Amino acid sequence: MRVVIADDSVLLREGVARVLADEDLEVVAKAASPDELLGLVEAEAPDVAVVDIRMPPTHTDEGLVAAETIRRRWPSVGVLVLSQYTETEYALRLLEGGEERCGYLLKDRVLDAGQLADAVRRVGDGGVVVDPDLVTRLVGRPRSTSPLDELTAREREVLALMAEGLTDRGIGQRLFVTPKTVETHIRHIFFKLRLPETAVDNKRVHAVLTYLRT
Amino acid sequence: MRVVRLLVWAGGGALCAGMALALQPVDQPAIVKHRAIIGLTLLFVGLTIGVIVWDRRPDNRIGILLTAWPLVSIVPDLRWIFWNHALPVTLGFATIELFAPVFVHLILAYPTGRLQTRLDRLFVAFAYAFAAAYGLLFLLFFDTRYPDGRYWLECGDCALPITHIAWYDVHRISHVFDWLALPLALTFLALLARKLVHASPGGRRIVLPLSAAAFLVAGQFVAQIVLYGSSGVNTMTNTKWFWITSVAGLLVPVVLGVGLLRARSGRSAVADLVVELERTPPGRVREALARTLGDPSLELALWLPERSSYVDSHGRPLEFPSSSAERAVTVLGPPEAPVAALLHDPVLLERRGLLEAAGAAARLALENERLQAELRAQLAELRASRTRIVQAGDEERKRLERNLHDGAQQRLLSLGLALQIARSQLGADANGTSELLGEAEDELRAALDELRELARGIHPAILSDQGLGAALRSLGERSSVPVTIVVDADERLAESVEAAAYFLVSESLANCVKYAQASKVRVSITRQDGNLVVEVDDNGIGGATLEHGSGLRGLTDRVQALDGRFEIESTPGDGTHIHAEIPCGS
Repeated sequence: MRVVIADDSVLLREGVARVLADEDLEVVAKAASPDELLGLVEAEAPDVAVVDIRMPPTHTDEGLVAAETIRRRWPSVGVLVLSQYTETEYALRLLEGGEERCGYLLKDRVLDAGQLADAVRRVGDGGVVVDPDLVTRLVGRPRSTSPLDELTAREREVLALMAEGLTDRGIGQRLFVTPKTVETHIRHIFFKLRLPETAVDNKRVHAVLTYLRT
Repeated sequence: MRVVRLLVWAGGGALCAGMALALQPVDQPAIVKHRAIIGLTLLFVGLTIGVIVWDRRPDNRIGILLTAWPLVSIVPDLRWIFWNHALPVTLGFATIELFAPVFVHLILAYPTGRLQTRLDRLFVAFAYAFAAAYGLLFLLFFDTRYPDGRYWLECGDCALPITHIAWYDVHRISHVFDWLALPLALTFLALLARKLVHASPGGRRIVLPLSAAAFLVAGQFVAQIVLYGSSGVNTMTNTKWFWITSVAGLLVPVVLGVGLLRARSGRSAVADLVVELERTPPGRVREALARTLGDPSLELALWLPERSSYVDSHGRPLEFPSSSAERAVTVLGPPEAPVAALLHDPVLLERRGLLEAAGAAARLALENERLQAELRAQLAELRASRTRIVQAGDEERKRLERNLHDGAQQRLLSLGLALQIARSQLGADANGTSELLGEAEDELRAALDELRELARGIHPAILSDQGLGAALRSLGERSSVPVTIVVDADERLAESVEAAAYFLVSESLANCVKYAQASKVRVSITRQDGNLVVEVDDNGIGGATLEHGSGLRGLTDRVQALDGRFEIESTPGDGTHIHAEIPCGS
């Protein structure tokens, strides 16, 4: 899998490249700015671009803007945004560009080589990744009364994994159950939370995250 | 100069009296003699008023013109009464139509004594030239006999003007002149109307009564020509027109005199002002002055010596006003240390005495007002500086947050990556060093988490990045009390307003968790009448006060620094309700 990395800190850029290389991913190019990144994506046509959310010139959301541009202009290139913030708002913004080939991961994950490489692979394979910390917080936040209470423990697990962007297959592997069972759980969850059936196949991560944060 | 005025007055009086006396032996009906005496008396009254005005306003040409007008109305009649003396006849013919241009000049130049527009000056110059031409015609050619010796006027001992050179039928030409007087009178009326239209409101108020009198005078003149032909009506025999002419003629000096009396009564207005200022609350001096000076548009600019600048009564800085056609400026107090400046209708410049007297009378009140304005200006400055401090604080928070992310966090991450590499290079067996490195990495992760939350607490990047709504929703996600967030105004606002609202909600939520024992909180952000309304209501135990914890105290300061309002209602057992309004533009 061919990967491009964008981060304005040279230490992290090299560090992440090394981690990914150790995990048998091919880092084909490294960029220090959004403009450089777009040029490299154009030239290298990588499978995945790993983009830091804070980049020059203002160090706010340039990385996210670049990610949105890549998704629009090169839909076959997956984008994994590494962020310093556990903000649902940013993840949702990314998901609004389509629920495939994208991920929003906390930057601290670079210290967990396996998790980072796994996320890159999932995005490269066309999947969605949402940082587990973010999902855990959303699922666990206190609610006065909530349909969430009606979910079984297993259903809650499935809900969290779904929010992390895992496919039915991926959820099944994690929980050691068949995709068929996962599908049943998901239908129950959607029914209990009164989420629209149409969201099951399309934009379900967005729907679940939106549900969880309100 | 007063001697000159006295001489003019006495001379005019003597002239009137002399003419009245000289009229007595003349073979004329008694009614004509009576009316002549009435006419002369009225002219003498006009002359007297003119001399008084001249005396009160020696610098203003109006006095001279008003004195001259009755005189040049009397002098032409010399040629009738002393018909057999060359000098009075010459004088009479020389001034024969002079009353008209003097009148036009007087009316158009009122109240300043100067003709304001080019058109006025042109017209008045033409009127003088017209009257001079008319007089010259008679001076050079008037004779009572035709060249063949016959009399066209049965007057054997009529004197000729000294300047007589030849005979010419002047009356034929004088008829043409008489008819020309009609369009001239109409032009005059048009110019007068124009002057009224273009006058400033204050100026119009002053000019209007005299203009009305002038309309009457010129109007009855026009009516006479239209009704009776070019030479007009003989007012000596026509009773109705005698009175119309007399009254209209008298109105002009009377109205002018009354105007002068009013100007004089300005002195008593100033006396009233002194009394009124005693009762005037601070900040109302402008109104009192406006009433006294009769200029509702009057503005007051107070001089603050410490700042060397003018401010209004609210302490707001004012541009130093410069005089213009619409507004005049009068500085009160000595020029090197002014107390205040008045911006007023330029017409008040004509009553500089009143202006200065009123200014002097208001001096103490103005000093007081000035101190108040200074206080207000200082308050405004204080508020501005408080806003700046809050803004600087926000900026500093943002800078800190950025530095934590771009500095410490990046370094810790690099450190973590280095540890990882070290661990992988160490291989499987390293006497537990690998485990130790693993523990170090865990510590590092915890440190990164804490750092992130710390940075977030200092200033959430999402606030400046995505706005108040996103930041509050994010805050709600993190709250350990269930929060409902309703954001009715999700557009971007001024940074300071967003920050104040955010930290207000953030601190309130923290209090809910720490003290209120609330099981739910509702946060609502709405916009109302240019204010951002922030409400935080919980169902906790209540009893919160501003003194209770410095957090809310600081928020009050923050909201007030933005000119906003902050209220906290927290009856024990009835939850805590925080209501803040922050001005945020329309």
